[in-house]
Amino acid sequence: MQKTAPAAPSTGVMPQLGRWLRGERLTTLNLFVTFVIICIIFASQAEFFLTLENFVNIGRTLGVVGIVSIGMTLVLITGGVDISVGSVAALSGVVTSILWLNYDVSLGVATIVGLLVCTLVGFINGYLIAVVRINPLITTLASFSIIRGMAFVLSNGQTNQLNDEAFKFLGRGEIAGVPVSLVLMIVLYIVFFFIMHFTQFGRNLYAIGGSADASRLAGIAVRRHLLIVYTLSGFLAGLAGIIIASQLASSAPRAATGLEFTVIAAVVLGGTSLSGGKGSLIGTLVGVFILRVLDNGLVQTRVSSFYQDVVSGTVLLLAVGFDQLRLQLTSRFGGKS
Amino acid sequence: MNLSRKFVTVFAVFTMIVVPLVPVMLHAQDCPTAQDNYVIGFANLTEDIVFTQLVREGILAAAEEAGNVEIVLADNRLDGATALANADNFIAQGVDGVIEFQTDEAFGNVIMSRFRREGIPVIAIDIPMPGATFFGADNYFAGRLAGEALGEWVNENWDGEANAMLVLELPQSGPIPAARMQGMEEGFQETVEVPVADDMIFRLDSKNTQEESFQVVSDTLPTIPDAEKIVAITINDGTALGVIAAAEAAGRADQIMVVGQGADPSGQEAIVAENSRYLGATGYFPELYGFQIIPAMIDLLECRPVPPAIYVNHIFINQDNICDLYAEAWPDFCPAS
Repeated sequence: MQKTAPAAPSTGVMPQLGRWLRGERLTTLNLFVTFVIICIIFASQAEFFLTLENFVNIGRTLGVVGIVSIGMTLVLITGGVDISVGSVAALSGVVTSILWLNYDVSLGVATIVGLLVCTLVGFINGYLIAVVRINPLITTLASFSIIRGMAFVLSNGQTNQLNDEAFKFLGRGEIAGVPVSLVLMIVLYIVFFFIMHFTQFGRNLYAIGGSADASRLAGIAVRRHLLIVYTLSGFLAGLAGIIIASQLASSAPRAATGLEFTVIAAVVLGGTSLSGGKGSLIGTLVGVFILRVLDNGLVQTRVSSFYQDVVSGTVLLLAVGFDQLRLQLTSRFGGKS
Repeated sequence: MNLSRKFVTVFAVFTMIVVPLVPVMLHAQDCPTAQDNYVIGFANLTEDIVFTQLVREGILAAAEEAGNVEIVLADNRLDGATALANADNFIAQGVDGVIEFQTDEAFGNVIMSRFRREGIPVIAIDIPMPGATFFGADNYFAGRLAGEALGEWVNENWDGEANAMLVLELPQSGPIPAARMQGMEEGFQETVEVPVADDMIFRLDSKNTQEESFQVVSDTLPTIPDAEKIVAITINDGTALGVIAAAEAAGRADQIMVVGQGADPSGQEAIVAENSRYLGATGYFPELYGFQIIPAMIDLLECRPVPPAIYVNHIFINQDNICDLYAEAWPDFCPAS
């Protein structure tokens, strides 16, 4: 994709409005307002929505999607996609449980090996995409299938219990009343926010997503960047899988089924473009919160699960649709976005 | 001894020997499928699930025990078209009878029309097929067993009253799981001294996964902060484990008691756990399916009457009887006899 040169700044109310509308901050602000509106609606309908216990619960069940969404945001910003994250998450739990239960390996070491295996899967994805130059969708769709199959083969289709109090602390424990998985997720968001906005590596990812060819010509090591991004995505999916296993105190080859769709929905809702070059981790974080609060509120207001799917899909469509409308208004009043 | 007496004696002996054989001879003439040895095709639902693997192992063991049955195996891979192709292969191989475990109702009609045309008797496992003898779970009864056991436990331990009931169902999967849930709910409500009020029954979509049941129960528990006696009825072991994990994560494990369906190894592990909140599960015994199916198939092939539906002998498995059934699997829990 070729980038067009930015239009020269112009004066007047309409161009200024256009520039304001075009801003990424506004996307995030819109999302935040949407989030607050959703919270107000549920608070008026569900008696226990605005309680500390419920917020702790939301925090506890947010980490998995939140952490995988970091990797997916990076991948989408580069113009790629990673469909394999759910399968990779399942694999990490399966590998950890098998090493712990069937071999003389401590749970800590088993967890590290599980994470390393997932990191390796991410690296292989990255290698196939960046070096062999297979389409990201095809590559990760294939690994989605292969890795899920491996999880079944390794576990023989069985769910394994992981009853270890220290292990359960990651998924269920709290630090000063805040769920550990939420703390971990926030730390990761801070780290990756810094990387994306204050390092050359982060800026290069946006450039690659805008135009890989132009980035290559500009001297950016595109292959290396893509390799790192997919490796990170594999690592983060593996970490999410460990959190799932810790929360459930068990590992199952079917774990995290459909996680990839929830994660992509959250990231796109957060304003990241599927065509690359645009997106932010703050937006992703708000997108993750919106989807989680929607699920929570709909359960608490006892809406049928069939309607829950309808509502979640509609909110996604409305949010992305309004954002597209805003961008169209932007180009109408103040040049291209 | 005169000639007439000799004749009478010979006639009497002849009659004693031949007359009992007449029905057998006539029967053999009327039963063209009766033979000394049989080749029976078994098309399994899938080979990826422990449950179906156990079904296959049981059928092979029962065939070996019968002594005159050879099994030809196929894998339907959860796919109607594959099941149809397997059916054609069975016909081409000249099997005498077929055991079908396939999921697609529409393909079931086509498959059965082919077998009918060839005069091949069929036993369908768990999913009915028109014209085939049904073998499988008695879902309502299986549910009822678990519900009644939970009701009795509440009568003995919670003064016959529970504050809330969580119903972890699978609404998108139609009448079979619905029958289980109905059986559990009615079994509980009719057994417990004080039935749970309608507005305290929470119907939650488990989506057949441990994570989803973890999340929806996590979302529901904050809405019943005062409930200290909560019962949960669940569609299978995985869902039950998700409920227990959610209660543990919320610090409310001692306020909940759960029953389920299946009693697979992961469920059994939860049943025998110390301070278990998994009261038990109705057993389906897939490993024993073959020992009812193979004799029924031989009866069909030898034209003996077989009921149109044969049901699994369900038992509610709990800490009291698990050692009678699975002592070898849980040596720490089951004292050596």
